[in-house]
Amino acid sequence: MNLQLLLTGISLGAVYSFIAIGMVLIYRAVGIVNFAQGDFLMLGGFVYYTLIQMALFSAWISLLITTLVVGVSGIVFQFVCYWPLRNAQDKAIVVSTLGASIFMREGAKLIWGATPRATKPLVAGTAKIGTAVLQWQYLIIIAIAIVVIAGIYIMLEKTQLGSIMQATAQNQYAASLMGIPVGTAIAVTFFLSMLVTGLSGALLSPVYFVTNTMGGSSGVKAFAAIVIGGFGSIPGAIIGGVFIGLVEVFGGAYISTTYKDTIVFLVLVVSLLIRPKGIFGEKTAEKS
Amino acid sequence: MKKNIPNLYVISTTNQATHTGGGFLTRQIKGLGRSSAITSALLMLVAMLAPLAVSHYFIRVLCLTIITYMCVLSLYVLFGMCGQSSFMQCGLWGVGAYITALLTTRLHVPPIIAMLGSMAGTGLFAFLIGLVLFRLKRYYYAFSTIGMMMVLNGLFLNWTAGTGGALGISDIPPFGIGPFQVRSGMANYYLILAFATGATVMVWMLYRSSLGRSFMAIRDNETAANCMGINSLITKDIAFALSGILCGAAGALFSFLSGYISSTSFILSTSQLYLVIIMLGGTSSPAGALVGSLIITLLPEWFRPLKDYMMLMYGMGIMGLMIVLPEGLIGGGKDLYDKFRSRRR
Amino acid sequence: MTSLEVDAVRQTKTVLKLDKVCKRFGGVIAAKDISFEMFAGEVLGLIGPNGAGKSTLINLITGVYRVDEGNILVEDTDITRLPAHTRALKGITRTFQHPHLLQRSNIATNIYLGTDLARKKKNHIQASQQQELLDRLLQVSGLNQDFSEGIGKLSYGEQKLLETVRAVLSRPKVLLLDEPAAGLNQKELEKVEALVQIALEMDAAVLFIEHRMDLVMSVCHRIAVLNFGNLIAEGTPIQIQDDPVVIEAYLGRKRDA
Repeated sequence: MNLQLLLTGISLGAVYSFIAIGMVLIYRAVGIVNFAQGDFLMLGGFVYYTLIQMALFSAWISLLITTLVVGVSGIVFQFVCYWPLRNAQDKAIVVSTLGASIFMREGAKLIWGATPRATKPLVAGTAKIGTAVLQWQYLIIIAIAIVVIAGIYIMLEKTQLGSIMQATAQNQYAASLMGIPVGTAIAVTFFLSMLVTGLSGALLSPVYFVTNTMGGSSGVKAFAAIVIGGFGSIPGAIIGGVFIGLVEVFGGAYISTTYKDTIVFLVLVVSLLIRPKGIFGEKTAEKS
Repeated sequence: MKKNIPNLYVISTTNQATHTGGGFLTRQIKGLGRSSAITSALLMLVAMLAPLAVSHYFIRVLCLTIITYMCVLSLYVLFGMCGQSSFMQCGLWGVGAYITALLTTRLHVPPIIAMLGSMAGTGLFAFLIGLVLFRLKRYYYAFSTIGMMMVLNGLFLNWTAGTGGALGISDIPPFGIGPFQVRSGMANYYLILAFATGATVMVWMLYRSSLGRSFMAIRDNETAANCMGINSLITKDIAFALSGILCGAAGALFSFLSGYISSTSFILSTSQLYLVIIMLGGTSSPAGALVGSLIITLLPEWFRPLKDYMMLMYGMGIMGLMIVLPEGLIGGGKDLYDKFRSRRR
Repeated sequence: MTSLEVDAVRQTKTVLKLDKVCKRFGGVIAAKDISFEMFAGEVLGLIGPNGAGKSTLINLITGVYRVDEGNILVEDTDITRLPAHTRALKGITRTFQHPHLLQRSNIATNIYLGTDLARKKKNHIQASQQQELLDRLLQVSGLNQDFSEGIGKLSYGEQKLLETVRAVLSRPKVLLLDEPAAGLNQKELEKVEALVQIALEMDAAVLFIEHRMDLVMSVCHRIAVLNFGNLIAEGTPIQIQDDPVVIEAYLGRKRDA
């Protein structure tokens, strides 16, 4: 087993997991799939890039600021694309998120231009683990991923905020009857979702170019992750994301670099045919 | 005579005189038949005279608009009538374009055969893929169309032997029958207009047919449709195949018009755009597809200085539209019109 | 109180037969060893407390749910393994508790769905005869709106009538009505009964789920009683009224109390 590919794959997979987790949080809370999720990855990448360019803060502080900025933008997003439409048909909300995706993609092009951008890694240089030689950034991504996932788990399962979010996710109406501020809970869910996604965008930027169109394909790969892992399940999003990352890296190395994305999507289609419910099975959301 | 539906069965009733609900004139105007016939005739007139009044460049813009309309029309059949979303319509458009390009450049097939090949080939391809995809439920089906779109785009881009890869296929001959070739922009425009008109007429006939009704029954309640004798799997697949035929024709026309195609035209975001267009215009009739296509393609031309901001504004516009008029311009417009009329009674 | 022309129970042809049909959902037994027959020209009432499995039974007959065990036969053809749309072609038609019409289409389109189904069947009749049937159904139901109007213009009662018209228009062999009286006033109810009468004249077997005992007792030739997925009684209205098992499970104390 090629350790280098394995670690790179897991690292990339962690990024996809973050996007996928973001999508699952929103799906569980409000019952729709957010087609603009990948674009928040892009936003994270660009905001981080801008902060690094301004060179006012250290890389780690810039990371923190980026994460918070994207999290807040998630709240704004929720106010525009979800809240006014919360009683409308699903397809209207989905199309609204498509509109947001277009808006963000084009807006990014106008602000940062169409050339791909790269940023500095948090820790420069490469690491040597056994036979594997890869950039430190990949390992940092994995480390942060573990911390963040643990944090999410603790928050959702052990804190009151988490209980509120879970209650709202299961049944908005019942939650409101119990005095839970549904609007706030949803806003917090969106904040958390974009926080995680924006973070992964910033983390990815030193190793992959940031472009205004990167939201599209990474969003689709996150879909693939959710579906393969089990629609609506957070562990599924994590496992699915890592799986997709591994498929992309190993597929690219052993089968073909040109077709590596195609391979990922073929795996998605095949997985849908063999086991549409995914690894962990599906969890559907109840709308009020 | 009661409002008739000129079809197999004339639905009649006995109580003419005691019918309540609006005067004679109101009912005539309500009867879509009369007014939409007038509108359509006017529209055709404008469409046929348009190239005489505009620049060469604008004629080409119109050509592309109508080609886009045909792809959105395919989505009207699949999504507006049958309720199945799809993110791979642009990929089907590409399949149609590549079939024609390959048939004419590699096999030197006459253009009209290539056109038929595109239509039949894309329709068949859609049908076969659909047999597999429609076994999946709602969201899974939608994701699978996204996956297929990416697979198609990957093939267009990377399969150098088949599709020319990143370089695409060039030197596609223009459309022609015998010695007559459709070379000029204006000639292409009329060709494309003819196809689009034919397509619209056929979709209109589909709407009034039992097949069209079975699409709509599936859209509104798939279980109930099955209980009414409609095999939903096969019927959805037929809708998909029909949408494939429409995209195939549009693709062929695009190949003939441009003379050169490459994978950059056939991307996921364009499929998303078709969906946005039909939601903008309204999913309840082909008019929605037309209005949406016209707005999306023509507005950037009329507001040249704002061209770069156009897509940004669409994004914003679509978000706002979903809040205000989720039925789209045509559907929502009709609702507003109905509300206005009922207040005046 | 109106009632259909309740002929003496004519146990003519068996149109539908259920043989030891069982259905489970996880741990819940929705149907256990259900066996009964339905005859041409007869109305069978299906009653039982909420949750007894009545709607499930209709779903099993129409094919929306698959049976776990047992068989369903339509005129000697085993339809147990057939999908819903094929069963519809064999003559099984149903209405829903809340009318399932094409909400975004006009009335005419909805009616046409009934004739579409009729034409697909093997026993379809000539267009002129179908037209006569349609005229008669429309007259009986009293629907005389402008048929190019949208469904939304109809009241709830009119929508239910429309759905029933559509169902009878398809000339069913087995007509399953899920709570046809719910939400209807007396006049509308009489119209539904008249429509059902037309179906009976075409030799259909009619099953209806109802909660209104007065209706069930007066309209049905026979009644079947479900409780917790079991068929606990079957017989004429008189028999059912006096059946102690039924009284205990469903009717509560004796009716004159």
